[in-house]
This record gives sequence, C-alpha cells and structure tokens, in this order.
Amino acid sequence: MTTDKDNLRTRIQQAIQSQKRPTVTVLSSLLAIQDLVGYIPEEAIEEVAAHSKTSINSVFGVASFYPNFRFTPPGEHSVEVCWGPTCHLKGATEILESVLGKLGLDSEGDTDDGKVSFRFNTCLGACSQAPVISVDHELYGNAKPDIVLNLLNSLYEKETLN
Amino acid sequence: MSDKVNLTIDGVEIQAEPGSMIIQAAMDNEMYIPYLCYYPGMKPYGACRMCVVKAEAPTPDGSYRALPGSPASCTTPVSEGMRVETNTGDLVGLRKGIMELLISEHPHGCLNCHRVELCGPTDVCLRHVSVNDRCVTCPKNERCELKDTVRYMEMELTTPLTYNNRHLPMEVKDPYWDMDMNLCIVCSRCVRACDEVRGDRAITLIDKSGRSIIGTAAGTSLLESGCEFCGACIDVCPTGAIVERDYKWDKAVQKISTTCPHCPVGCQLDLDVNKRNKVVRSIPNRKAEANMGMACFKGKFGLDFVNNKNRLKKPMVRKNSILEEVTWPEALDFVAGKLEHHQDGDYALIASARGTNEDNFAAQKFARRVMKSNNVNVSSNSRPKLVNSLQNLIGTDCASNKIWELLDSQVILLVSANITEEQNVVSVPIKQAVAKGANLIVIDQRETELTRYATKWIRPLINSESVLIGGILRSIIDQSLEDHDFATEKCEGYDKFRNSLWDFDLVKVSAQTGISQEEIREMAQIFANAGASSILYGLETISDSHINDTVESLVNLSLITGNLGKKSGGIYPLFSGANQQGSRDVGCVPNLLPGHRPTASQGIDLMEISEACSSGAIKALHLIGDELFHNTPNRSEFLDKIKATDLLIVHESFASEVTEIADVVLPSALFSEKTGTYTNMEGRIHRLRPAIGPIGDEDEDWRILSQIAARLGSDDLSYSSSDDVLTEITNEVETYKTLQINSLDSRGHIRNPILNSSYVFSPIEFTQSKETLVNDQYPMVFAPGRVLFDADRDAGIVTENDLNTITRREVIEMNEEDAKEAGISEGDVIKILGEEFELTGNAHLNGLHSGMVATTALFGTLIESLNSSSEPDPMAKTAGLRLCKVRVEKV
Repeated sequence: MTTDKDNLRTRIQQAIQSQKRPTVTVLSSLLAIQDLVGYIPEEAIEEVAAHSKTSINSVFGVASFYPNFRFTPPGEHSVEVCWGPTCHLKGATEILESVLGKLGLDSEGDTDDGKVSFRFNTCLGACSQAPVISVDHELYGNAKPDIVLNLLNSLYEKETLN
Repeated sequence: MSDKVNLTIDGVEIQAEPGSMIIQAAMDNEMYIPYLCYYPGMKPYGACRMCVVKAEAPTPDGSYRALPGSPASCTTPVSEGMRVETNTGDLVGLRKGIMELLISEHPHGCLNCHRVELCGPTDVCLRHVSVNDRCVTCPKNERCELKDTVRYMEMELTTPLTYNNRHLPMEVKDPYWDMDMNLCIVCSRCVRACDEVRGDRAITLIDKSGRSIIGTAAGTSLLESGCEFCGACIDVCPTGAIVERDYKWDKAVQKISTTCPHCPVGCQLDLDVNKRNKVVRSIPNRKAEANMGMACFKGKFGLDFVNNKNRLKKPMVRKNSILEEVTWPEALDFVAGKLEHHQDGDYALIASARGTNEDNFAAQKFARRVMKSNNVNVSSNSRPKLVNSLQNLIGTDCASNKIWELLDSQVILLVSANITEEQNVVSVPIKQAVAKGANLIVIDQRETELTRYATKWIRPLINSESVLIGGILRSIIDQSLEDHDFATEKCEGYDKFRNSLWDFDLVKVSAQTGISQEEIREMAQIFANAGASSILYGLETISDSHINDTVESLVNLSLITGNLGKKSGGIYPLFSGANQQGSRDVGCVPNLLPGHRPTASQGIDLMEISEACSSGAIKALHLIGDELFHNTPNRSEFLDKIKATDLLIVHESFASEVTEIADVVLPSALFSEKTGTYTNMEGRIHRLRPAIGPIGDEDEDWRILSQIAARLGSDDLSYSSSDDVLTEITNEVETYKTLQINSLDSRGHIRNPILNSSYVFSPIEFTQSKETLVNDQYPMVFAPGRVLFDADRDAGIVTENDLNTITRREVIEMNEEDAKEAGISEGDVIKILGEEFELTGNAHLNGLHSGMVATTALFGTLIESLNSSSEPDPMAKTAGLRLCKVRVEKV
C-alpha cells in the first residue's frame, strides 16, 4: 500500500519535473500530471503546492475550476463521442444513444465496473469523417451505431482474452 | 508643487495620491461609491462591478477622452485632470441590474417584503417570508454591507429574476467560526485577505464559474488547511457568510475601542457590547498603526473570559482557614492592619502583566514608598536579561523600529521565537515582506510557522546561538562585508570588539554549533549585503545564562552592518505580557525606578522571591493577578514556596490555585472594565477604555492600593482617577512627557525615544555551553514544533460530537546514530517520556543533532484544546513551545 502511494508520488514528481517550458505554473504542472497519471490525486495537489510554493488550497482552487481535471482515477478505457454541429447533423445523436445504452450511463461519467470513462466532445477535428467517435484516443470516422457497438464490445473482449 | 493628482468627482475637485484608485480617492474625500468586493488595503480586484463609474481624461489637445465603457472605480487609477461621474442614470441602472443578479443567489426576502417598514429587527415574521430567506434570521442582520448597499440604491423592491437558494450545508464543525455559503456573494474578500494580507491561503475559491464558492482544498477542515484562526476573513466578509460562532446573533448596542490584553503588540480592538453588558465580538481597528486592522486567534476569539460568570465578586478574608466574603472596608482594614508589620523589607509585590501603566506605577510606588521594599516586579518579567543590556548598548529597551517597518526589510533574522503564537500580528508584515522577496533567516531548534517561510532555517546545538552569531560576525569581518563607517563613526568600542572576534575561528564555531562553515558564511552574506536587515529575538529556547551573550552578539550584528537607526532595519526584542514594556517604563521592576532610573539597591527577581518566601526572608507577598509560571514545572514549585508566607494578598478576577491558598482575595477589574494605558513592544502608548460595567464589587488595582496606602497613613497614592496617575507618570517618566492624554486615539502615541549619543559594541566571548538541560534519567532534549499546515501527512480529521478533531499520528524526528544505539529503526513506534508528559509516535531518522528529538504538531491541535478548555481564560495560558528533557523508549 505504502509502495503504491510512494510510487504515485514519484510519478507525480516526474510529471512536474518533465516540463521543459520556461515558465512552469500551477496550471501547467496540473496538466502534466493529468497527462501522465490520468487524474489529479490528492498527492498531486500537495506536490504542486510544494513545487510552486503556494498552499494546497490555492492549487485546489485552480484544479477545481477546470472541468477537464478529474479527481478520481479514470476508467481503463476512454470513449468520447463528438457532438459538434457537423457530427450532430450527420447523426451523432443515434451514436450517443447506443453508446450510453451499451455503457449503462445517462450522461458523461464512468461505468460502474470502472472499465470505461465516457465523455462528450465538442469537436474532435475530423468533421469530414462525421460522425466521429474516439476510443482510447483513436478516432473512428463515419460511425454507425452497429460499428460503435462492435468497437465497445471489442474493448470488453480484449479484457477477457487477457 | 504638490505631488498629488487633481481630479473632479461629480463636479467636486479633489486631490488623490498618485497611483491610487478612483474609489479610494473618493473614500478619502468622504464621497461614497457603492462597492462590495473592494476593501481598503487590499489589491484592486474588480469582481462585483458595483463601483462602476463614467470617467474621462484630458488629452494633450485639451479635449476630453472618455474611458471606454463603464470602468470599475476600484481598478481604475486616478490621473491628472480626470473627470469622474458616479451617479448618472445609466450607472444607477447598471448597478441595479448587477445587484439584481447578485441577490438572485442571496436570500433577500426581507429586502423586498412590503411589510419591511413595519417590521422590527427582532419581530417574528408570521408568513410573508420563508425562514431561510429572512434577513432577520441572519447573524449579520443590520451589520450587512449588502443590505446597506441595497438600501442606498433605493431598489424597486421586487425580484424580476428567479431566486435560487443554493441549499448548501452549513459548515459549523470547526472551532470558533461558522460558514454559510448560501449567503456568500463570492466577492472573495476573505480569500484575498487570507492570501494577500495574512499569507496563509487557507481558503480559496473552489469549483467552476457559476458554482464557484469559498472553501478549502477538497472540502477539508480549517484545522488542517493552514488556518491560523485570525478571523481576518470574518472581519472583511460583507454578508453573513462567515461569522464568529459565539454570540452569533447578538447585536451591539455599544462599540468601544480598547487594547488587547494578550500580548505586547497591543492590537487596537473595537469591542461590540450587547444590551446585557457582554462583550460579544472583537473587530480589529483598521486605523491602528500597531496592528493595521489585524488580530489573531487570541484577540479575535480569546476575549470571552470577560463575560465569564464565575468571577470573584466580593473581597474575601480567611477566617478560621476558610475564605469568607466580607465588605471592602473590612477587607482593606484587615490588609492594612497586617501590612503594618511588614514595612521593613520582608514584603514583596508582583504586579500583573495585564496591569495598566497606572496600576503598575501605583504598585511600585506602593511597594517602594509605603512598604519600603524594592521587591517589586511584574509577572511577565521572568527573563529581564532579554532587554536589560539593550538599553546600555543602543539606548532603548524596546523595539528600535516600528512593527510595520518590517514590511520593507530585505532580510529578517528571527532567533528562537514562535511569533505566530506569541506575538502573532508581528508575523503579518514578515510574511508580506517574504512574499515581496525578502530573505527570512530563522535560527530555532523548533519547527514553527515561520520556518516554512524561511530562506534558511538553522537548527544549532542547544545554547550555541551566541557562538553562532559570533561566527557570523567573524565571517562578516573575514569577507569585508562590514559597514566600517557606521561602526567607527557612530559606535564606540569597535576595535576592542573586533579583537574579541579572533577567538571565533569558523572551524571552532562550526564544531560548537553543529552548523557548517558554508552555512555561516552564507548567512553573513545574506545579512550584510542587504539594504535593510532587521533582527527579531525571543530567545525562547535559550537558557537564562546565555541570554546576555546572545543579545550582545545580536546588537553587534546590527551595528556592524549599520542597521541600527535605519528604516526597516533595527532590532526587536520579543517578550510576553501585554504591558511588560509599560511596567518597565513606570518602574515596576526590581532594578529600575520610573523613567528607567537605576535603583540604589536592587530588589530580587521572580524566582528569588519564591525562594525568599520559603526561607522566611519575605513574610508578606502581594500578588496582583495569577499569571506566574503557567505551563512550566516551576509553577508547582512556586506555589509550594509561597505557601510559607505569613500573609498572601491576591488581587484576582477568577478563582485559581493561588486564591485557594491566599489569606486575602481582593476582586480586581479586568482590562475590559478599566480606564488606563498600555505600552506596546514599540513603545507605543495605547488607551484602554471600559467596555462593560462592573460585574460585582471588583475594583481597579491602583484604587485598591491607594485605599490600603491611605489606611497605612500614607498620602503617596492619593489619586482620584487613573488619569491622575497618568499625569504623575508623564511628570516622572521622561519618555512619556509629550503624551497628550486627551488626544490618545487608536493610533496610539510613540513614547519619546531615549537617545544614546552613540551605540556601543560589546566584546564577546567564545563560551562553552555552561548549562545542561538534561540529566541521567532524561538524557535527551525535546524540541516541540508547531505549524499551521503539514502537507506530508494526513491530519486524519474525524468528526466527534459534531466537531472536527485531528487524529494524526505524530512523527518523532531523531538522530540516526542515537536511534541505532537504542535499536530504533525508521517507522518504529516510540515513546517520548518527559517529566510531565508522554507522547507516542513513529520514529523518523534524519540529520537532527545527536541528543535531540523533535516533533511538529499542527496548530489545529492547539486551537482544538483552547476551544474545549474549561479554563475561564485559556488563551492567556497557551502552552508555549519550550525545550525540555526527555527520554526515548521503544514501544
């Protein structure tokens, strides 16, 4: 247990140290940590506070302001459905419905089994391929409900194979 | 030419400081622009937009150019020739719109109720407004800036927007303060006060826009968020969102400005007094130059003792070994009858550290003139050596500079002082200076709040501080960093002093102090290379026999770098006792007469008095207040010894161990019932004004003494008021001559400085530590620390009986070699056993000096114990962090 925690702290410190930009801020450190660890654990708030010589309260103030920072570990896989204007016109609603149905969610969030974190995305930048869905940061264009369901199923199958 | 900026506001020509904001310029000229987020003394923020104005500035061709839009006057600086309109129809409309938005999230039922004119503040509302939305149920009702602003703007009393109650739970589990975020208007004054002014950042704005609210990281308790319970957030809150818990709903019928009795800073506090003669609130005065609107946990939450019902109300005399209530004349006759037989040197008087200058002047005069004894002292004078030599060397016996000059110090050297708990408000300018880039060097074995702000935190071996300072002095000479002109032209004895430094070879110093030569050299560079370096010393961890040496070394350090007499430089002794300085000035110490004149034959000091009591040399002891040796092992020893006296007279306000053994108990008035003056650590004289009337038959100490004196046939103390005494003080004490009694306001009056023609260097000696703190039974020295916040370890907050409680496991720091010898390895559960306490925790082995153990507790634990204490005045008896001898055992 202690080693897990120490390990987490080491990874957080690595993330903070890995920033090569000339100005390191509270925000840039938080971003670096979220990139490496996947979320902002309590330890990250403490480490960033120590590194930027401010209090945990101030760091938490920054972290809690941005919806993109999460304070709990994400699911094993990330699924994002684009609902930007183009995707919307090209049928993102159906895709959303089938994805939410499959995952058993009402809106953004994590599945109960912790397998998948689902989020809306306002534009994945591939409007020509609309509607677009991203699974583990890989884009799939011209999505259809059945293709999407297959994709999601494969996520679960991978697990059982392993 | 005037260096002020000329501008017109609503057609009135005014002058303003360059760089100031329009709103401040208006305020300084007694004009009002509505505002909610602005607060004088804090940086411009521009959150609420209430203070919008129209402004135009002249252009070179003589025409006027309007500033775009409606700028907020709190973020728009004044400029020459500017024309500002604050009340045009547009602006009024804009403000009303903003206010409507604001109160759409703030309960305001009473504001737009049609019965509001008919309804008194305490009337019960039958049905017009639901309970949650009433102003009359808000603790800040009629003290609310939001309500005042709404009234000023003469709003239509309707709500066009849907009112949204946030339905957030109240935070009432932390000591002393309550938070109701349903009332918050998110002006973030509290967050800025905590950050900009106090430097704590214990609270912050959390969550996203639209849902943003005040809170702490992850919603934790204030006990672990780094809060110092100073109440600054409460003082600035414009609504009832953050309030004091005690007497929350009580209304003030009177506001009295007086001086805090807790420490020598002498904070000016405005006390709210309710109709039942109780002090319900204390709000620090913003105009006061000693505290600049700041207070601390003691001044803010530690004054409730004045309302305590268990007061001693009648004089008592011991008859047949039982204390019986008697009338004043009977008690005084009894005392006088007894004291008659003690006028030949077997009498001693210890005055109260909370006694006013008048009380303590009368006390010393009573002892010296009436009782013919020089054995007179004040209870806070337990370490007179802290300041005794200062006067000879630099000419003053208190801080050479003002507290708030520390703001501009570039280097601050702090030697063994836990300012956060002992003289809290002094830490505010220090933290602000550090935030501006000043270097703070802390020399202390204990980890305290300010070690967290330190550029360098040095933990020397016990009692080696004077040698360490000697090493710094030597290093300054070695690196040619001294201010030679200052040292030779303005000071005496430089050459002799310089020669005495040859003993301080850095190799030797390093061995003696446990601090590397490199560190010593660096400290010398930091201290000597700055423009203005100040020194603060409390010497709380240093044994009595080393204090003189250390003080002399510190004075030398200030002189050799030319920092005495310089703005933001200087030297600040940190003692305790609200009126310790005044007591010295008026001669209530055994070695000085009023006005710092030396006595012909010196009286004995506090410890010697108790010795003399037990040996029979002193047969009559007169104790004013019971403040001696609290929280030290000396206390029980002291009580044992004074039992041996024939006559023990005690002036007290509450029953205590001392009144239990007294022969006569005379009820004495508290600071809140007195007229008089205190002198603070800067030599600033402050007024005390009676806030509440008498509770019983208690009286002021000077009057009690004057009545006893009259019965002993002396007319030396025939005063009719405390101002009479003060008049005599101003005649007797040279430095008080310029004091104008009637014009004494919250800014106070700095007593005349006592000037030496030149400062004096004192040669220093390389001393081996003479005193040992330890013995065979307790071979280690324990350095207890306390900090506001500890990121490394979870405070483990649990809620018990609806109160947040810290359940943290302490970590005990230990030297690696010591641990190996005792068979202790990292993380083992070990126990520290002292004479009067024990403490269990996990061992953490680090580079701590051999023979020492240390812990760092959370300030929250202190606050918790104060909050739950059953003592009438727990803040006055706060356990200081003292070194003590212990032994360590493995569990």
